Amino acid sequence: MKKALILLGCPEAPAQTPMAVYATYKLTGLGYEVTVASTPSAMKLLEVTDPLKYYIKNKIDIETCLNNLVENSFDFLLGFVHKDAAVSYFVTFYHILNIKSSMAVVFERDAELLKKFIEDLNESTETTIVSARAYHNPTPLKVKFDRAIKQLGE
Amino acid sequence: MSFCLDTYLQESENYEILISKAGFKESKKFIEDHAPQVVYVDAGAKILGVRIIGIPPVPIGINEDKDTVTLSYTKPCYGTAVIELPVKKEEIKNIRSLAINPYKK
Repeated sequence: MKKALILLGCPEAPAQTPMAVYATYKLTGLGYEVTVASTPSAMKLLEVTDPLKYYIKNKIDIETCLNNLVENSFDFLLGFVHKDAAVSYFVTFYHILNIKSSMAVVFERDAELLKKFIEDLNESTETTIVSARAYHNPTPLKVKFDRAIKQLGE
Repeated sequence: MSFCLDTYLQESENYEILISKAGFKESKKFIEDHAPQVVYVDAGAKILGVRIIGIPPVPIGINEDKDTVTLSYTKPCYGTAVIELPVKKEEIKNIRSLAINPYKK
């Protein structure tokens, strides 16, 4: 079975948690076994959102995941990027995994910061980027994510 | 027992936070300006027992006179800090062995 890793950033942006659940649902539908790596607080948000583990079956602390990560241990990396630190984490995971298939979901309210995050990702990875000016409302991200994930499934 | 940066930062006060809540590129420039010598490592390289986070090449500052290293330290919710801490010569040697290119200065 193909394995996907979803990397969550700081959970302060409200759009992240619903998009993480939605992305898990979509990737599971494409035949991936999905693991979500996150901070403890982001994990609590997921646990309250999905109490019966209907969508999210596998969760791991982001630091534990990082320490044990080895090359080629996942087939697909999906990262949520809405802070500078999230760019650094995504790029680090990308390089350790030496991953061929990946996607960064980049969102920010500030257009300049959004542009900077995208440029930083483009400088150091060849990842597919899905981006939108978003913070509370996940809909602009969902629309673009759906389009990109459809291409992944083809 | 090998050195672990996370444990050291929790249990010791013998380190200096030079900048905090910064971006990675700002931190990188700070290290390059601050340290007498800089080596560069891959993102995810194990430095002082932890995997270093960043956009490669990731700088590690070395001061042989003070026996200190200066490095970026990133956490998801707090951004990147630059810390300088004393280390044994052996750790400096370990860091140099991970360098992906010779010293910048």
